[in-house]
Amino acid sequence: MLRDLTLEVSGLVVLTGANGTGKSTLLKIAAGVLKPSTGRVVRPASVGYVPERFPSDVKMSASSYLAHMGRVRGAAANDVLERLGFVGSLTAPMSELSKGNAQKVALAQAFLAADVLVLDEPWTGLDPAAATELVSLLEDRTALVSDHEGHLASATRVDLAGGHVTIELSRVVGLDALEALEGVRSVLSRGSSARVVVAPDRSDQVLAEALRLGCSVRSVR
Amino acid sequence: MISLVRYLAADVLRGQRYLAPLLVFLGVLGMLFASDAGQPLEAYSGSAALLYPIAAWMAVVVATSEDVVRREITVVSAGGWSRVLTAAALVAVLFAFAMALLAAVWPVVTNPHPYTAGQFFVGLGAHTVCALLGVGVGLMFARPVFDSIGRTVLAVFGVVVLTYPLGRATPLGWVLDALGHNRSSLSVLWAGVVGVALVSAAVVVGARRA
Repeated sequence: MLRDLTLEVSGLVVLTGANGTGKSTLLKIAAGVLKPSTGRVVRPASVGYVPERFPSDVKMSASSYLAHMGRVRGAAANDVLERLGFVGSLTAPMSELSKGNAQKVALAQAFLAADVLVLDEPWTGLDPAAATELVSLLEDRTALVSDHEGHLASATRVDLAGGHVTIELSRVVGLDALEALEGVRSVLSRGSSARVVVAPDRSDQVLAEALRLGCSVRSVR
Repeated sequence: MISLVRYLAADVLRGQRYLAPLLVFLGVLGMLFASDAGQPLEAYSGSAALLYPIAAWMAVVVATSEDVVRREITVVSAGGWSRVLTAAALVAVLFAFAMALLAAVWPVVTNPHPYTAGQFFVGLGAHTVCALLGVGVGLMFARPVFDSIGRTVLAVFGVVVLTYPLGRATPLGWVLDALGHNRSSLSVLWAGVVGVALVSAAVVVGARRA
């Protein structure tokens, strides 16, 4: 859960934050994969999206996949694959490609978009030369990117967690009540456990409320 | 939309998971018409009953051909879930119609009883309706309505198995009853309306659930 977030993407915007702070979820909402539970997203017509992990078992060839994606978008082919140094067969099933080359195909389809790019850890699996080339490809583009490794030093940075306290809970009850508390930035629940990211100045109140509700606190850091 | 349909159809054909329902369909169709299957419309009732679960199975194959992550990319590229789910429904209907056509033609060639053009088109219509009902059931319980393939299989299997004993209480029963009594009936048309509504509802439910 992300709350009270207003984000206007102009030029390059980099999302940072610890694991579980909602970067991938926010990117999916921005791209149009997920709907926000409240609030609204205004996005241009042509959005390119690269997920965190491109699937490795695709039977279609890279050339066929990119041709189809180009037709779906009504976009002309680009030279992104060449610029990123794709090596391998364009006509073999993508399941036979290395992780890095599959990522280059994922990036090439995203760059077919004319308006905005939404990229989740796009450097995953890329060799250093391709990583550098991706930085130059992103110059002058409008893009929302999650970036753990600091490739885009000059971009506007948005830290989803900021200074934060992470509370790990088990035997969670009253999750809705916790989510509604002031200062709660994200809640990631898994079965009866949950990770709650809280603003530092509100952590005591959230902790007290969790204990009052009957949750067990595993860790606070 | 056409380019999206072409892409999804190409992905299904490349994935080869369509072969299992197709081969079962062809195998059972061959057995049904291996000997004298009876009067023209009556002979169609077996293959129409068969096409219902096969079309549901094929619809699940089409709906789940792309894995979750690649489907997300397609949704963004196409401009939304509604467009992708509509295209997937069209692909499933196209596959189902191809099988309906085959099932309608098969006994014309193999059955010793002669078929008139009218009987053939009634048979084709009846098969198409059964296929539409199957596609609707398949899509209604496939991703993104149910995320787990196990739940999808159980739900589709459950609905399909329950449909037969309910007889004329279901649109499938209306079609099979008309064919079994060797007559065409308006109820086949109404069952077709239900089939189209079911497929449309599956698309709407999927888009809301996604």
